[in-house]
Amino acid sequence: MNAIDPGFPPVHGRVDAAGRLVSADERLAELNSRAGGVTGQPIAVPQIATIARLAQRLGILVSRGVVAADGEADVELWVRAEPDGEGVRLSITGWRPRAAWDVPREDAAFVRAAADWLWESDAALRLTFLSADAGAKNGFDPGRYLGQPLTRLFGLGEDGEGGFPMLGALALHQRFDNQPAILRPTGGALRLAATPRTDPGGVFAGFVGAAHAVQPEAPAAPDAAPSSVSLTPQFSAQLDRALRGPLGRIIANADSISAQSEGPLRQDYADYAADIASAGRHLMGLVDDLVDLQAIERDDFTAAVEPLDLADVARRAAGLLQVRATEKAVRIDRPSLGESLPATGEFRRVLQILVNLIGNAVRYSPADGMVWVRAERDGERAALIVADQGKGIAEADQARIFEKFERVDPTEPGGSGLGLYIARRLARAMHGDIALDSASGQGARFILTLPYRED
Amino acid sequence: MNDGVRKGASQLLARAAAADVRADRRLGVAIDDVLLPDDARLDDRARAALASLLTAIVATIETALRQHAARLLVARAEPETAQLLLAPAVPVLDRLAAAGLVRDPELMRELVGRVQQDLLAEALPVVAPDDPETPSLVARLTGHVDHVVAAGAQAVLAADSRRRSSDEGNAPRTDLPAELHHRLIWRVAAALREAHEGAAGAAMPALDRALAEAAQRNLAAHDEGERVEAAAMRLAAALDPQPAERPALLVETLGDRRLALFIALLAHALGFAYEQAREIVLDPAADRLWLVLRALDLPREPIARIGLALSEGDPRRDLEAFADAIDAIAALTPEEARAALAPLKLHPDYRAALLALARSKRR
Repeated sequence: MNAIDPGFPPVHGRVDAAGRLVSADERLAELNSRAGGVTGQPIAVPQIATIARLAQRLGILVSRGVVAADGEADVELWVRAEPDGEGVRLSITGWRPRAAWDVPREDAAFVRAAADWLWESDAALRLTFLSADAGAKNGFDPGRYLGQPLTRLFGLGEDGEGGFPMLGALALHQRFDNQPAILRPTGGALRLAATPRTDPGGVFAGFVGAAHAVQPEAPAAPDAAPSSVSLTPQFSAQLDRALRGPLGRIIANADSISAQSEGPLRQDYADYAADIASAGRHLMGLVDDLVDLQAIERDDFTAAVEPLDLADVARRAAGLLQVRATEKAVRIDRPSLGESLPATGEFRRVLQILVNLIGNAVRYSPADGMVWVRAERDGERAALIVADQGKGIAEADQARIFEKFERVDPTEPGGSGLGLYIARRLARAMHGDIALDSASGQGARFILTLPYRED
Repeated sequence: MNDGVRKGASQLLARAAAADVRADRRLGVAIDDVLLPDDARLDDRARAALASLLTAIVATIETALRQHAARLLVARAEPETAQLLLAPAVPVLDRLAAAGLVRDPELMRELVGRVQQDLLAEALPVVAPDDPETPSLVARLTGHVDHVVAAGAQAVLAADSRRRSSDEGNAPRTDLPAELHHRLIWRVAAALREAHEGAAGAAMPALDRALAEAAQRNLAAHDEGERVEAAAMRLAAALDPQPAERPALLVETLGDRRLALFIALLAHALGFAYEQAREIVLDPAADRLWLVLRALDLPREPIARIGLALSEGDPRRDLEAFADAIDAIAALTPEEARAALAPLKLHPDYRAALLALARSKRR
């Protein structure tokens, strides 16, 4: 039998036509009695009662995975209810205790997020899906392998410990991440990962999988530099797709809970929801940063060169941050309305840089502090200065904070540590730069320069 | 006060005056939206999926046309015009929507059907085989002795892989029926022309020629036979199941979540078009589906399995009501069911005319 937890035999029971639990193995009887039921009386676990009743009325086998309360804890059950004339036979597997905070994970999305291409199989390990671009990327015809045993496309190899992760995962219906394989049509090296797909009765029904190309190992250099963060374009694109939607929903829902728009709510719950929304926004910002990072690190990255008014962009950026500043009681002193400073750069990117610089300044400002935003011409350069009254940045740290994943103050919550790195890369791509002028305890002055434009 | 400021001020006044009207219109739309009957309204998932599908389809065509036309222009020594075509501009979809060209019932029927079919297929519970060594239905059919069936099964798997990859943003394609693809291509080409009308100047004839050639090239490469729907219909016809084989086949198809094949099998058995069968299968108030299944003389048990699977995959369906009705459904004779379905089998144009008359009466 191909049950979810091969270690435990299924637990049986019988429900009669009137919905009474007439017999039950010990485990089911205990579950029922903890739910307040007695053998011989209607079954007291509502989820199981529903399934039994449905099987009875439809006259067919009904399987469902359910979570039932078992005393203090929850337990995950795979229930199969099969009508047999006078009543319904129950067969229950799983019995995995589940903590209330243990939300089922979207394993498939994790496994697939960074993949080069994707595959799926049925229970008999025949291929039922291959990414349409898998063939084009690797030079084989995916159509020839669909419907065929997976081993016709993949030659499975042993992992470092002499085992086959896929076979272990198949036996236990678990996820596997590290199955070495050869792509038979090309001989290319792959790493396979997959998560099992189970039917509502908990029975294995196939794998949802990913394939990662493995670069042939270079001869080991003894003094190899520590590996840097590398992001493939696929990874960023998939990360973006995989995270942006769910995060957007989390933020939107948390916001509407926090605003109590669906009805009144205890204040501390509303506050939790606000925390969730702000954590969600932080993660969304990180996704944006990673996607940006991938774009600007490409060799062919360029920014548009268009005429813009730096003072105007600064006013807009300050406007965007006004709400955040007001919440912190920080005042932003921005260039006045008539002021203008012609420069060249890509509007969107310059706005992004200034939102980052002014946002940092607001974040590190003391309450009732002031952030100055000044636009000045400096010879051939247009300069925009953002100064704050925060604790400043020690000289030793000034180069570091423009590096990837570095923070002005690592103990401060929020921020991905990518903002300044991205901002400087962007500025340089527009033939400008960002400089910093600060000393510990004296606030920070960031100076964005762009080419000045003669009108 | 200088002229610029004066002009800005009068624009502000004009916008403020228009804001009143806009707010009123927004309220009107909100009222309409709230009062829409839930059973007629797309749910939020379907709305989001529909919007992204439409965006992706138009973007796919737009990119293909822009790039090929630009290549042609470069080859014809019109690099500036090519540059123009490749520069970012107003999204074509916005322009088409503003012109009312997205409000195309045939296009929307296709896209809504496709989106709902995909969402339902994704949500259907898989049914594991009794024997883990048994391959799933379509995988099994790829090894069928009849090579027409085997090739048909392979085509279904390949088309489904292409469709899903395209929906996930890899290797995008429109996968539309030829007529709709044709219509959309020319509309996108026209919108691209319009966007560059002013800037192209004397190069306009060259731009027209390049866009038209790019459109024709794209049309020539489009094969509607490669669509999942068409591949599923071909496999259903190749299988041509006997009445006695149908129940098990239909149940297994749903258990493998091959919804397109399930729809195609019904369409083939009844002589319906795929789209018509799809509408019946996707209708959450599944009364017509029960008639169809009874017209094919399916017994109570497979109907119960099909009803259960569809209800588990689609929260809008009322499983309790289905359980109440199952005996009445099973009691229908195939003759009664076929008689009740007769209007659905009339000539499609005739049916469309009858529907149009009925619609006018409702007003």
